[in-house]
Amino acid sequence: MVKEECKVLLDALNKVAACYRHMVLTIGGTADSQNLREELRKTRQKAQELAVANRNKLTGVLKDKTVSKEDKAEFERLWVIFSTCMEILEVDMRRALELGHEFPLNVPKKHLIQTGMSGGTSGVAARAMSVQNMKYEAEHNIDVVDLKDLEKEINQMGEMMYEMEMKVNVPHWTVEAKQDPGAELKSTVSMGASSMGMISVEENKSFCDISKVLAGVIFSAVLIIAIVLAVCVVKLS
Amino acid sequence: MERMIVIMQDPDMGVKMRNQRLLITVIPHAMTGNDIVEWLIQKYTISEEESLHLGNLIVKHGYIYPLKDPRNLVLRADESPYRFQTPYFWTSTKWPATELDYAIYLAKKNIRKQGDLIDHEKDNYNLLHKRINHTWDFVVMQAREQLRAAKQRRKGDRIVIDCQEQAYWLVNRPPPGAPNVMEHGLKQRNCHTSRVQLTKNMDYYKREIEYCRKAMGRTRVKSSICLEGYVKFNEQYVPHDPIMSGCLPSNPWITDDTTYWTMNAPTVMTPTKLRVERWGFSFSELLSDALGRAQFMEFLKKEFSAENLSFWEACEELRYGEQSRIAEIMDSIYQHFLAPGATRWVNIDSKTMERTLEGLKTPHRYVMDDAQMHIYMLMKKDSYPRFLKSDLYKSLLAEAIIPPETKKRVFPFMRKQRHSSPSPALLLLPGGEPEAKAEDKSRTPVAAPVPEEES
Repeated sequence: MVKEECKVLLDALNKVAACYRHMVLTIGGTADSQNLREELRKTRQKAQELAVANRNKLTGVLKDKTVSKEDKAEFERLWVIFSTCMEILEVDMRRALELGHEFPLNVPKKHLIQTGMSGGTSGVAARAMSVQNMKYEAEHNIDVVDLKDLEKEINQMGEMMYEMEMKVNVPHWTVEAKQDPGAELKSTVSMGASSMGMISVEENKSFCDISKVLAGVIFSAVLIIAIVLAVCVVKLS
Repeated sequence: MERMIVIMQDPDMGVKMRNQRLLITVIPHAMTGNDIVEWLIQKYTISEEESLHLGNLIVKHGYIYPLKDPRNLVLRADESPYRFQTPYFWTSTKWPATELDYAIYLAKKNIRKQGDLIDHEKDNYNLLHKRINHTWDFVVMQAREQLRAAKQRRKGDRIVIDCQEQAYWLVNRPPPGAPNVMEHGLKQRNCHTSRVQLTKNMDYYKREIEYCRKAMGRTRVKSSICLEGYVKFNEQYVPHDPIMSGCLPSNPWITDDTTYWTMNAPTVMTPTKLRVERWGFSFSELLSDALGRAQFMEFLKKEFSAENLSFWEACEELRYGEQSRIAEIMDSIYQHFLAPGATRWVNIDSKTMERTLEGLKTPHRYVMDDAQMHIYMLMKKDSYPRFLKSDLYKSLLAEAIIPPETKKRVFPFMRKQRHSSPSPALLLLPGGEPEAKAEDKSRTPVAAPVPEEES
C-alpha cells in the first residue's frame, strides 16, 4: 500500500535526522575526529537520498486526484511531518557548516572543547546508515574538504524545500496531530520500523547477546555454588 | 566569551581538569569552581571579585554548566564541579532555541521520566502541544528516535549528553522566577504563564466592589451623540486652519510676506476677527490666548469677580514656577486669596478650603490643585458665558479686522496662491521667477525685523 510505503520512508528519514542531530552535537568537543566528520558526510548523503525519495513519493500521491478524503488528509499530515523533518535537517546542516569552520581538526593551536565525551559516535552512524559496522576510508583532511560539499548540499536542500513549498499547496495549520499529549509514554517499544527492521533486529540481537551472556555467566556461577554446596553437604553428612 | 572558552582548553595553559566520579562511571573533563576563578585571576590579572563576576556571566550564558546543582546557574568559588558546554549548545543569536526543539526535548524528558515533569515544564508542554499541533506527530517520532540513537553511545557519554541538554534548556527556557539571560524583550515570550496572582482576600474584593460601583455611577453618553458633538467641535476650526482654508493676508512660507505673523502676535492692538471668534469656542482657548485673557480680566473687573482669574493665574505660577520660590508663592497666595479677611478673597466651598489649608502645611507644587480646579469651573460655568454675551465681546468682534488678501500680480504667471500649493515645483516657472524674487527681496527687509521682536 502506498500509505505504508510512505510511512516507512518517512520513518527512515526521521531516524537519519535524529542520528545526524546527535552527531552534530559532538562537533567541536573532544569526541570530535576525522571519523566523525566522515560519518557526518555519509549520513548527510543518505539523508538527502531519503529526502528525495520521500518527496517524489509524496508529491506523486498528493497530485493524484483519485485519492479519497481521509487518505488525502493522512497524506497531508505525512507531508507536514516531512517538511518539518527537512527543516530540522537543514538547520543541522547549517550548524555543522558553521561549527566545522570554527573547529578545524588539523590545526595544532586550535583546541577542542573538553566536553567530557570520550566515546565515539560510530554506533550512531551505523544506526543511521543501517549497517553493522562503519568503514572509514576518507583522507585525513576530510574536515576541510567536506565543508565545500556541505555548502553545496545546503544550497541544494534550500532549493528543494523552496520548490516543495511552491509546488505542493498544503497549509500546515489544517493538519491535526494524531497523538495526544503524553502519547509517547504509551509505547516506548519501537513502532513502525518493521520493514527497515534489519538494523533494529540486528541491534536487538546484539543486545540480547550481551544480556544473554551475562545471564549465562550468572547462571553458571549459581550452578557452581550449588554444586559446591551439595558436595560439601554430601561430604559432611 | 567563546574565545575565552577556547583558550581555557589549552592543555598547558588552560584550566586544570579533573575526573568526575559517579557511581560506576568516571567522566573526564570536570573542573572545580575554584580552578576557574584562579585561572581567570591569573590570566587576566584581575581581582577575585571581578573574576567571580566574569565567571558568573559565563555560567549564566551557558558556556559552562554546574554538575552538582544544575538548576542554579551560579559560579561558586569552591569545590563544586563544572563542565564545558558543547559548541552546538552555545548561546548565539544566529541560532535561537526554537519551539520545535524545546518540544522535542520535553517529549524526550517525558519518556525518560515516565510523565514526571516539573510544573512549568508540564505547562509549557501543554502549551506547545496546542501551538505547534500540526507537527506534534513529528515531535513524538523525533523524540523517540533521538532516544534510540543515544542508546548507541557509552553510558558516560549518555550522561554527559543529558546534562548538556538540560543545561542548555535551563538557560534558554528558564523556569518562572529565574533571571532570564536571553532577554528577549517585550515581544516574544508568552507571559501568561508567569502572571502574579493577587491573594484574593477581603480588601481585594472591597476594592473591586468600590471600583465597579464608581464605574456604574459615571454618566454615559451615547457614542453617536458624543461623536457628533466631537465632529461639530472640530469643524469649527476649519476656517481657522491655514492649510485647509488658507490664511488671510498670505501664507508667509509661500509668499515670504510676514504680515500674518505680525497681525497675530500675542500683544497686538487690534486682534483679527478669526482670533476673536476662536475665543468663543471654549474657555481654555480664551485663557490660553494672552490677549483674550487680558480682555476677560477687564470684563471680570467690571463684574467685580476679577480675583478669581488672579487666583487662577497665581496657581498656574505655582504649578509651573521655580522650585525655590514655591514656599514664597504659596505664602503670597494664602495672604492675598485664602486668609479670612484677605483683600481678594476667593469663594471656595468649605471642603476644598479645608483640604487646601491642610495642604499648606506641606508645601509642594500641586497643593492648590483642588482649589484651582474649583475656581476654573466656576469661571467656566458662570463668567465665561456672560462674557460671550457681553457688550465688551461684541464690540471686540465688531472692531476686529479682517486682513486683506495680498493683491494679485499683474502677470498672470505670478499668481501668489493663498492656499498651500501641492508641490513647490509648480511655482518655479521659468519666465516670471526672477521678477518675483526681486519683489520679495524688496519687501523682506521691512517685514523681517518685526517678527523677531514679537517672538
